[in-house]
Amino acid sequence: MNSDRMLELKFSLLRGAVAILISIGVAAIFIFTVSETPWDALYQLIISPFGNTRQMWNILERMIPLLFTGLAVCVMFSAKQFNLAAEGCVMLGAFVSALIAIYVSMPMGIHPVVAILAGAIVCGLVMLIPSLLQTKFGASVLVSTLMLNFIIQFVIQYFLVHVFADRTQGALMTERFQPTAIIPFIRFETNWGLAVGLVMVVLVSLFLYRTRWGYAIRMVGLNKEFSAYSGMKVAGVIILCQVIGGLLAGMGGGIEMLGYFDRFRWRLLPGYGWNGITIAILAKNNPILVPFAAFFLAYLSRGSMNMAIRTDMPFEMLEIIQAAIFLFFAAEHLMAKTRQKMVVKKAKQEMQSAAKGVDETC
Amino acid sequence: MLAQIMSSVFTTVFLASVLRITTPILFAALASAVSERAGVANIGLEGIMMIAALSGVLFSAWSQSAFIGVLGAGMMGVLVGLMMGFFYLKLGTDIILAGIAVNMLGGGGTIFFLFILTGQRGTSAAVLSRMVPALEMPFLEGIPVLGAFARQSILTYVALLCVLLVYILFYKTPLGLKIRAVGENPNAASSVGMSVNKVSYIALGLSGFLAGLGGAYMSMFAAMGFSANMVAGRGFIALAAQTMGRGEPLGTLLSSLLFGAADALSNHMQGTGLPSQLVATLPYLITIIGLSMYTWRTIKKAKRIRKRHSEPANSGEES
Repeated sequence: MNSDRMLELKFSLLRGAVAILISIGVAAIFIFTVSETPWDALYQLIISPFGNTRQMWNILERMIPLLFTGLAVCVMFSAKQFNLAAEGCVMLGAFVSALIAIYVSMPMGIHPVVAILAGAIVCGLVMLIPSLLQTKFGASVLVSTLMLNFIIQFVIQYFLVHVFADRTQGALMTERFQPTAIIPFIRFETNWGLAVGLVMVVLVSLFLYRTRWGYAIRMVGLNKEFSAYSGMKVAGVIILCQVIGGLLAGMGGGIEMLGYFDRFRWRLLPGYGWNGITIAILAKNNPILVPFAAFFLAYLSRGSMNMAIRTDMPFEMLEIIQAAIFLFFAAEHLMAKTRQKMVVKKAKQEMQSAAKGVDETC
Repeated sequence: MLAQIMSSVFTTVFLASVLRITTPILFAALASAVSERAGVANIGLEGIMMIAALSGVLFSAWSQSAFIGVLGAGMMGVLVGLMMGFFYLKLGTDIILAGIAVNMLGGGGTIFFLFILTGQRGTSAAVLSRMVPALEMPFLEGIPVLGAFARQSILTYVALLCVLLVYILFYKTPLGLKIRAVGENPNAASSVGMSVNKVSYIALGLSGFLAGLGGAYMSMFAAMGFSANMVAGRGFIALAAQTMGRGEPLGTLLSSLLFGAADALSNHMQGTGLPSQLVATLPYLITIIGLSMYTWRTIKKAKRIRKRHSEPANSGEES
């Protein structure tokens, strides 16, 4: 039994590596057909993020929002709820946190905590809308959350333009955050949100794998009918996982805003929600693996940025790599033949050793 | 102000703008209907439309023919649809995730390809592409409702024709029967010798083609050329329209018109002093409300039917 699991693990690692190699290979093909300095572009994409300490800390910095959206999507996808509102929640959480950072005065230390929690709670409450519409009225959460993202974006735009804009500035932005609300840096531009994110990884893992509610969420994801039949409150579980997802994504938005910016100036959805889905796929919905997946994506993002700055390749290359990761990493039947061979080989070995055992006893 | 809005709604100008705005949504909603009826949830429509919008511009600039441009956009849609099919059917990627991947390609990928193919960033303004002509019918202009049709794009008529064609496909052709059979119950369909995979591939290809035409409309009629994120959620709204229309061609047409009207209304209200950002949320808000009301009604109806069926049985037990 245990060796079967080892085999599965070995195979999924192998398949994951192949999927990532294919994705980077796709990137390499584009680089070699398009770029005039392909080797430099490839160097910038793959090696330069590890070039020096500052670059490495930059990867960690880019990881912070991804940790939160990755966790949020993990929780929601664990219950097979295709809620795509993490994107909107990041923007909303960031906006609410920004308002508290500007207009409420609080002592150092408490200010960012209150601001971020407020953003998270608002997002958790907003997630009640799609989840209740789904459980009460049967409206597809996929469609309603896609719509919700646009609604959040336009409503924030309205408040930004008509209520909270700093008229002394040329571009559209709020006033500056109070210095008490800024999240302090660990080193370079990397703030303490990273530590909060890692703590959340542990908490969410414990929640999903060591509590009754976490168990219920995973069971609903595996088999909704069976869960209902065995007496679980399926509707409650569906609502719970989405509210938690909203809390996490909103928290990520607040931390990104107070850790990286000094004014709120997002006019469009920031895109971290979609990255969160990539991460959940890479981590196979397992929160413990989220930091690794987030690190990998942050590394690719940093590499793409270096490549776009220093060579003739555009930054959007990242989206092509991400789409390829999406398609290949989530491909359940990729290398099915190899898996078959591995299983057959192991079975043969076991049969042989069993036969030997029989021979010896005779 | 309400009177002002009301008076602007019942004009041929407004009706004409509803038709213009509905066209791309209708194409994508029909695309969604074809794949949905085959049991494949295609949420990559948004991405397919973006990719097709870019392809239409590039093909028409290359050939200097609007027809080739539209055809190229449609064929690119087919390719993307088949690619989704390959990952879904052959490699076992979840179809929702495949759809999200296609949307990513449509978002960043189109900017990438536009840049590497033309050197332009974000818009194709410098690419000399052709536009789809409008069908000029000046004699309709004075007539109340028909006046809305006086200057519509040829593609608008194609879209309306597609409603009929999809209806014929579903209910009058062997392929349509297969599509519906596979969608209803793939196991039953394969047990009578149908190739589920083949039917799914065809449905995804057709779906891609229709969404591709919607994309072509965006960059070759609604706007002069391609720009980043120009589809702006229409592919998602189309998904909602199809759900509300239950995948029926006529129902899909009606719900697409409803969303088109909501969008047109939000455009018209921008002149009335209402904040444009809030008005812009209207189509999305109406989509959520409409979808919830519709699914709620279906659930209630289903409950009522179940009750009606169970009542005589209960009374039978009592007696």
